[in-house]
Order: sequence, then structure tokens, then C-alpha cells
Amino acid sequence: MSSSSKSKLMRRCMVIMLCILVLGFGTVAFRLSQLTIVEGETLQQAAVEQQLNDTTISARRGTIYDTNGKVLAQSATVWKVVLSPNSFESDADRTIVSKGLSEILGLDQESVYEKTKENSYYSVVKRQIESDTRDEILEFMDTIEEEHGISGVIDLLEDYKRYYPYNDFASAVIGFTGSEDQGLSGLEYEYDDELTGTPGRLVTAKGPYGVEMPFNYEQKVDAVDGNSLVLTIDETIQHIMEKYLEQGILENKVANRAVAIMMDVDTGAILGMAVEGGYDLNDPYTIADDQTRAQIDLLVGTEKQNAEYEAQSSQWRNKAVSDTYYPGSVFKVITAAMALEENTVNDESTFTCTGSYKPVENAGVIRCHNTSGHGTQTFAQAVCNSCNPAFMQIGAGIGKQNFWKYFQAFGFNTTTGIDLPGEASGLFFNSDGEMTDLDLAVASFGQGVSVTPIQMVAAISAVANGGELLQPYVVKQVLDADGNVVKSTDKMVKRQVVSEETCEKLSEILELNAKEGSAKNSYVAGYRVAGKTGTSEKLYDANDDGIDDYIASFCGFAPADDPEVCLLVYFDTPLGNNYYGSAVAAPVFSQIMSEVMPYLEVSTQYTDEEIAQMDTTANSYLALGVDEAKSKVESDGYTCIVKGDGDTVEAQIPAASTRIPQGGTVVLYTSLDEVSNTSVEVPDFSGYTLAEANSVAAAYNLNISVSGISGASEGVVLNQSVAAGETVAEGTVITLTFTTSANYGNNAVM
Amino acid sequence: MDLLRSKNYRKKQPNGRIKKASADMPDKYAIPIEDIQHRRLSQTRVRERSKSKTKAFRIGIGLDMPFLILVLVLLVCGIIMMFSASYPVAYYSESNSYYYLIRQLIFATVGIGVMFFMSYLNYEYLKKLSLIILPLGILAMIVVLILPSATGTGVKRWIGVGSFNIQPSEIMKFAIIIFLAHWGAYQHKRVQTFKYGALPPLVIFGVTAVLLYLEPHYSGIVIIGILTALMVLLYGGKLRWFLIIGGVLVGVVLVLAVTDKLGYAMERMDGWGKALEYVDDSMWQDTWQTRNSLYAIGSGGLLGLGLGQSRQKYLYLPEPQNDFVFAIVCEELGLVGAIIILILFGLLVWRGFVIAMRAKDRFGTLLAAGLTAQVGIQVVLNIFVITDWLPNTGISLPFFSYGGSSLIMILMQMGIVLSVSRSANMNKA
Repeated sequence: MSSSSKSKLMRRCMVIMLCILVLGFGTVAFRLSQLTIVEGETLQQAAVEQQLNDTTISARRGTIYDTNGKVLAQSATVWKVVLSPNSFESDADRTIVSKGLSEILGLDQESVYEKTKENSYYSVVKRQIESDTRDEILEFMDTIEEEHGISGVIDLLEDYKRYYPYNDFASAVIGFTGSEDQGLSGLEYEYDDELTGTPGRLVTAKGPYGVEMPFNYEQKVDAVDGNSLVLTIDETIQHIMEKYLEQGILENKVANRAVAIMMDVDTGAILGMAVEGGYDLNDPYTIADDQTRAQIDLLVGTEKQNAEYEAQSSQWRNKAVSDTYYPGSVFKVITAAMALEENTVNDESTFTCTGSYKPVENAGVIRCHNTSGHGTQTFAQAVCNSCNPAFMQIGAGIGKQNFWKYFQAFGFNTTTGIDLPGEASGLFFNSDGEMTDLDLAVASFGQGVSVTPIQMVAAISAVANGGELLQPYVVKQVLDADGNVVKSTDKMVKRQVVSEETCEKLSEILELNAKEGSAKNSYVAGYRVAGKTGTSEKLYDANDDGIDDYIASFCGFAPADDPEVCLLVYFDTPLGNNYYGSAVAAPVFSQIMSEVMPYLEVSTQYTDEEIAQMDTTANSYLALGVDEAKSKVESDGYTCIVKGDGDTVEAQIPAASTRIPQGGTVVLYTSLDEVSNTSVEVPDFSGYTLAEANSVAAAYNLNISVSGISGASEGVVLNQSVAAGETVAEGTVITLTFTTSANYGNNAVM
Repeated sequence: MDLLRSKNYRKKQPNGRIKKASADMPDKYAIPIEDIQHRRLSQTRVRERSKSKTKAFRIGIGLDMPFLILVLVLLVCGIIMMFSASYPVAYYSESNSYYYLIRQLIFATVGIGVMFFMSYLNYEYLKKLSLIILPLGILAMIVVLILPSATGTGVKRWIGVGSFNIQPSEIMKFAIIIFLAHWGAYQHKRVQTFKYGALPPLVIFGVTAVLLYLEPHYSGIVIIGILTALMVLLYGGKLRWFLIIGGVLVGVVLVLAVTDKLGYAMERMDGWGKALEYVDDSMWQDTWQTRNSLYAIGSGGLLGLGLGQSRQKYLYLPEPQNDFVFAIVCEELGLVGAIIILILFGLLVWRGFVIAMRAKDRFGTLLAAGLTAQVGIQVVLNIFVITDWLPNTGISLPFFSYGGSSLIMILMQMGIVLSVSRSANMNKA
């Protein structure tokens, strides 16, 4: 081998070596530097992201309390089923897991299978499963691990579910949540942000197949539980309202639900807001109304579906704030306030009613409910008579411009701003306040202008509290998870609408109205009630029977001299014997008030007549000798009846410390056996006048206690506390509720 | 006489080399060339040399110690890193964290044995062996195609012998290197011509490429192609041949690509360089390994997370003990650690070429250079793959990647390089 060829070989070796070292290793070193130094941070971040297992910790949704801290809505622990799709090793495993899970959870297998194919470590399969389902899944997880060696793909995480302890209680106000724990209606929707809280995160190091990483990394960001709400709603008041409203619906065959709103006239706090029929908050999608549900069940296909949606949305609808109605005669309070404020009427003003009135030359005649006419009335009489012709005259006196001004001032053309979703605004003839003379005439007695129930309550409350229009609210406090007050709502005065004098004057008239006028069915003994009935024609005919449908309402406040609460009761389309506000809504108002007023510890102010009728408390005559007891009973002013042959009194009815009407009957028993021997069947008192009821009660040796209209002198029994036919011991006190004659006929009050 | 001469030599050589290093090129090789000429003379005394061979066995000297130390250091580093990378996988899939370590230690022990054995053998016999190994390699590659797929994926790259897998392409690499070294030395006067210099390697490469294409094992084709070209360049091939052959190859690849015959490779090519981009689900899945390799390398930063502290090895990076072991090295030891290991490899390549240049004959030179270059090329290609500069096609990292056949093979090849160094030193001795 020549030296030159050898050196050439050496040179080639050298070149190739340098090529490998410089070009090859050089580029490699460059590439590695680029990745570690330049792109290092981004890559590291991406790596960390996949290495850390990020689990969402559900935040507990806040609780909703009533004003006294009773729980109205609460979240309880349940579980959510979560898959870790990237942890699956094969499609066969996916099939096994999706099949098992779909069977346990009642889901479509295909959709679960799709979830197992996602590119993530966290895919929620189902939320809010209860503990029994969780146990099934735990068992399934054990089974697949044993039989197929599948593990680390299913996870059960704590979750929360909403519970409403009172079911359909205050359903329109509280609302409900969806499957993702999000508020869908009512306060749950309105205050969703407050209630929701902030979900936490648990970040742990995790390998792709769910194996634990040996390097310790765990960072927990605790979930911040949602804030709680304290409502102004009082559970007791709300229950009272719902009870009587429901009763009223049944008695008057109300077709289109009913509303009752009670507002604290001094603050604007809503103490109760009942919308019947509501729905079960724990089961919001089921149609609560049996009749509607039965009708829907008869349908098929899309028709059924649509009917179902419609029924659902209507039962969820908060009629108290979302629906408008013609306020009818209740609006006369507003018209009266305008007239008084503008001094277009005074004590000397008189209004003549001939049974009908022609407000505009070319228009038709508008009749009064009293077709024979109210004759000549003072302003107060016109209110008490709820006389339409008189009010058309009063309205004409106010004038269109002023009418529109006060309509706005009372807040009818805007929403009240109550913290509930879906609030509607009232409707005037034209949104710019334009109206014809005829419009003014009908508007002055509450037809043609639409308002929402909540607007009406706020406006009447303004009359009650001396002229301040308040913003109504239902949430008084927002509490954080530790119970600290985060926010609290205070009284919010929108404006002074009318003067205090106007209000005082009007209150007097309205009290008189409740005592003697068209609103006497609203009377509550001992509490000075003021109020106005309303019966308004609806624009459409709900049951298609060709007869106009009506809304029967009553709005009033008590006590009249220093009002505390304002209550509106409103029945949409009563289809019973009566549709007048005085007959349908006023008694319910009275019933609610007579229970709410004592609850609110409003001091009673009885008239002499009332004191005469007032119940007393029975003394104890037990263990006394029969004769001694008898003389004592008589000296206490009661009639005494002795049952049995014994010497001493073993039992007495009414029991000691219970109510007994003045001049009532006390039955003394000399042995306990006698009590059951001397029971009587309760007679049916309905339709009796007070005098008749008294004599019947005496015949049965029963006591009666009177509630309802003032004096009960001209009323008849509407219902009784113990149903007819029931067997009670002699001496038992039965409360009778009186109402003015059901057959009010031509004298009916609008 | 030899001994005496050798003493003189040894005295002279270091000094001379240091001096000459700064001098101009031709002078630099003055002494080695003289040395080689001397060795050429001694080649006639075959019998005497076989005697000295037994002596060498007895004495156990003459190996190039820097090269040996580099091999052992890289092997130790490789095993440590392979263990670090593999233990989560081993624990997870084999329930034994030491599964891969123990096996690799066994392979390494066998491999070291083979290496020393080879280093003591005279590499001359490889000339004859190459004529047997080359057909055997081709046969093995045909056999692997006939046998059912060992992995069950339809890809036929391995022949299973018990629990041991042999990769025929590994044998083929070795076979081509020794054959071309032999051919280049044997025909060194004619290899300048196309007929002798280019045609035989082209035929061998062609056959191998077709067989590898059928496996399919495209990265094998690339490596063998590079090795073949390298050998041809070393023995004096002309650059213009490569232009022509390269042109033809590009044509072939284009035709295959257009006719959609590169299915598996195209799939891999698809995601090439786009490991961090999300295009669609299937590609995202395909680039999973490369992407996680990049994550690992990036996570290492300058100084790394510390030995044993890799996170990506916890089943994020599939098979971290195999081709992607260097990604875990980067993650744990950082850029600094990676560069140190690269320097070790660089030193090995340098030392291997030094041995090649000092070899007593042309065959030894070509052999040592080819085998050393193979290590260097595999290092470069492997890192290109794990850094997403080459498609993910299965190129292992010498000394680091887990695998019996490749580790034993590489150590055996290192043994041959050592044998070349020993022969050179023996002759001097």
C-alpha cells in the first residue's frame, strides 16, 4: 500500500470522524439546548399539566332560610360518577365499563362509551347519585378489578343535591335547581351567583393509568361554599297564606291559580308570597295539578310534549310578579288617593249613581254593579259602595294628565325591582301616557290598565305607610359560609307618592269600608282592617263557556291606624257560585289576617260590641264538689250542665284555660266515663245566622265561637272548625266563620 | 528485537505525537505510516503472530485503555439511566422494579464477556466470517419475514429465541460493516472504480433495503444506507456515485410515496415534527410518545430534576427504557448531564477513530472506523428521533437502550475495535 493511499484513508477517517462529531453531535447538542433552555419552560408546563390530576371539588350551594332561620332549601351530600377516559387500556375495557355503568345509572350505553373515548382524565358521567347507587357502583368497581383487572377508571366524588324540606312550599319564590346545581327559577335563579360558591380544586400528581406518582405533590384549593340567603318570608305566615289560599281555590273552583302577597308596609319586606297551585320543588318537572296531568296523559307524541312543557312553564311561573291583571275596584284606592291628593274631592263632594253612567257622549253606557243605583253618595260612601259611576266622575275630575302622573308615581309603569326573576311591568293604554276620555273613565275603576300583583301590593302599601312607595324585597340577608352577614337589604324608598294626610283620610275610609262597606267580609275582629275588594273582567274566556271570566281580589292592610302589613289576595277565574272579590277573596283575606295578626303580636283593639262577643277563658272546676262547682260556673257567667251522679267534678268541657264564648255552656262530668257517653254529633251550621247558630248550639250543648265579619249580625256561617257529623264531647267549642249572604245578587260589590 | 524497538517507540511516540500535532498534516502521520509499513512487513510472519496471540491471552495487555474505559463508563451510565427510566414501567407491567435492570445486567455481563473475548481474538478471521455472516444476515431477514410477527402487530422485525429476541437488521448492520471493510481492504486498488467500489455495496444495500422494506423497518434502511455509504466513503468511494445513487433513491422513495406503499412510514412521517400540535385525535395519539419525550427533555431544563426524579417515566412516556431512554436522561440530568454523556460518546467516537487510524492494516482501519461510526450515527439519529427531528422509527441508543441483542451486539463490536487496538499495540510490543 502506497503511502499516499494510506494517508488518503487516514484523511477520510478524519473527515468522517469530524463529520460525526461536529455535524452530528453538534446539531444534537444544539437541538437539546433548544429544547431544554429555549422551549424548556413551555414544555415543562405542558408536562406538569398532564402529570397533575386536577379534580374539581364541588362547592356546597348555600342554604335558603326563612326570616326566622328555618331551612327552606338545602344541599345534601350525594355523589357524582366520574370517568378517567385516558386511563383505559383497551376498547374492550371501555365496553365493559360503559355497559356496567349504563345499566346501574340507567343511561344510554353508547353515550357512556363515547365518554370513555374522550381525551381527558375527567369526564362526569352522572351527577347527584344517592348512596344506594353509589354502593352499586363501588361493587361494580370491585367486580371489574377482580374479573378484568380494570382499575382507576371510575371515580366517585362528593357532590351536592338540593333538598326542599317543605316540598311545594313557597315554590314560586324559592325556585329549583337543575342537574348541574344551577338555579333555574325563583330565588335559586335570581341569586344563583351568591348561592353557587366557588368550586375548589385538588391537584395531585398522577400517572396516566391512575397509578400514584411517588413524588409528593398535592395542592388543595378548598371549595368556597355558596352564600346562604335569609328571606323576609316567614314560614309560618307563608303556611297560613298557602293554607287559606288553597282552601279558597277549592271552594271557589278557581281555574287559573291564586296569589297572596303580604308585605311589611314599613320596610317593603315580603313576609309571604303564595302562588297556588305551585309544584313540588323536589320534583319540579312533574305536573302538580292532577287535572292537567290527566289531560296531558291522554295526549300523544309532540302534542303531549308541548302540553307538558306548557304546563311545566305555567306551574313554574311566579304569577305574583310575572303576570299582569286588571286590578278592578282595588284600583279605586289609587284613584281615590289621586283625587284626595289633588284636592279634586272633599267631604262635601257628592256623586250620583243611577245604576249606569255614560262617561263619553258617543260611547255606550257603563253600568254599575248595583243596577238600581247607589243614589247620591259622599266620597267615602262612593268608596264603600265601590260605585263605578261615582269613580268615573272622580276620574274625570282628576284628569288624564294627573292620572298618568300618579299611575307612574305609584310605580305601575315600571317593575317594582323585587329580587325575583321574570318581573313584568304594568301596562297603560299607551306607553307615553296618552289616553282617551273613555280610557280614563274605565281606568278610574281599574279596567283597561294592567298591573302585576306585586305592583298592587307596593302601591297599597304606600297608601298604608303614609305615602312612601317602597321597593319590595324577599332576601333580607346574604350570609357567607361561616354565617357572617355579607349583604343585607334595607328599606328602599322610591319616592313619596302622596301626602300623609291623604293616606290617613283614605285609611279611615278603607277601614270603614272593611267594617261596614263592600269589604266587610274581610273583617277581622280586634284588628282594625282597611281594604278594598276588586272584581275585574278578564279579556279572554279561560273555560270557553261564553261567560266572561273574572279575577276576584282583595287588597288591604291592618291595623288601619298604624298599618303593619298589607295583604293582597287574588283568585284568577273563580268558576264557583261566586266570582266577586267580596265573596271570594275577602273571606280568605280575613282568615289569613286573623291568624297572622296574633302571630305578629299586633295588639288588639276591640270595639264594645266585639268585647261583648269575645271569648273568655274557662276556669278550672275540677276536684270541686258538684254543687260548689255549679254555683261557681254560674257565677262566672256560664250555663252549667252536670253529667253523672258523682259528688266531685272529674272532668270539664271546655277544659280549663281553653276558650269559651261569653255566656257559653260548661259541662261538668263526675266521672271520666261520662265524657265518652255524652258525646254529640256536630250539626251542620252552614247558612245559619248567628242567632240560629246559637240556638242550635245550645240544643246540642255545644259552644260556638264567632269569627269573620263584624258583629256577625247580618252574616251567615261560611264554615265551621269541626266538620258536621263528627262526634265531640258536649261543651266543645266550635269556631264558626261568618260571611255576608252568599246570594249577594244585585247588591254584589265590584 | 521487537521489544527493544517497541521501547524506543514508546519513548519517542508520545513526544513525537505532541510535537507533530501542531505541525502540518502530512508530518503528523509520519510515524503511524512508518509503523504501518513495519506491520506490513510483519504480516508475512503469520505463524509467529499466532504464537504472540497466545501470549497476548496470557498477558492480557495491549488493549486501548481509554477506549475500554469509555465503553465501560458509558455502559455503567447507560445501565443506571436505563434502570432509572424503566423501574416504574417494570413495576407496573412486570410487578418488579428491577425486572429490566436485572435482565440488562445479565446482558451486560454476557456482553462484556463477549467484548473481551472478541478483543483477544485476531480480527483477521472476520474477513472470512464476513463472507458467512452476510448471507446469514440476509437469510435471517428472510426468515423473519416468514415467521409470524413476534409482537402481534404485523411488524416483523424480531426473531424470538426463547425469551430472547434477535433483530436480524442488527446482524445485517454488523455484517455489512465487516464485509465492506474486508472488501475495501481486499480490493483497495480497484474500489476506486464504480464496478468494484460501488456496485457490490449497492447490490447488498438493495437486497437489504427490500427485505427491510418488507418487514417493514424503514429506520433500519436509513441506518444501513448511511453505514454502507460511510464504508464506501472510507475505502475511497467517489462522491459522484452518491449523487447518482442518492438521486435514484430519492426517485424510488418518491415513487413509493406516490403509490402509497410506505403506509407505516407515512403514518409515522405524518406526525413528524408536529408532536406538539394538535391536528386530530389519531395523530395526537400517534405522536404521544414523541410529545412526551419532548415534555421530558423540556422538563429537565439546564440541570434536570435530579437522578431518579423523572416524572415522565411514570407511564407517560411509553417504553422509556428503549429508544426514548435519553429523554429521561435529559429530564433527570438536564442539559448539562446530556451534554456530558454526549461528550462521553464523542470521546468514544474520537478514540475509536484513533484506533482505526492506528490499526496495523487497512482492514483494521476500516473495521474500527465503521464500527465506531455506527455508534456515533446511532447516537445522533436516536436523539434526532426523541427530539422530533426524525420520525419515530425505532433507533436504539447504544449502551443505554434496553435490549439484549443490541447491547451484546454493540459490546461485541466494541470488542472488535479493542481487538484492532490490541493488534496494533501487540505488533508494537
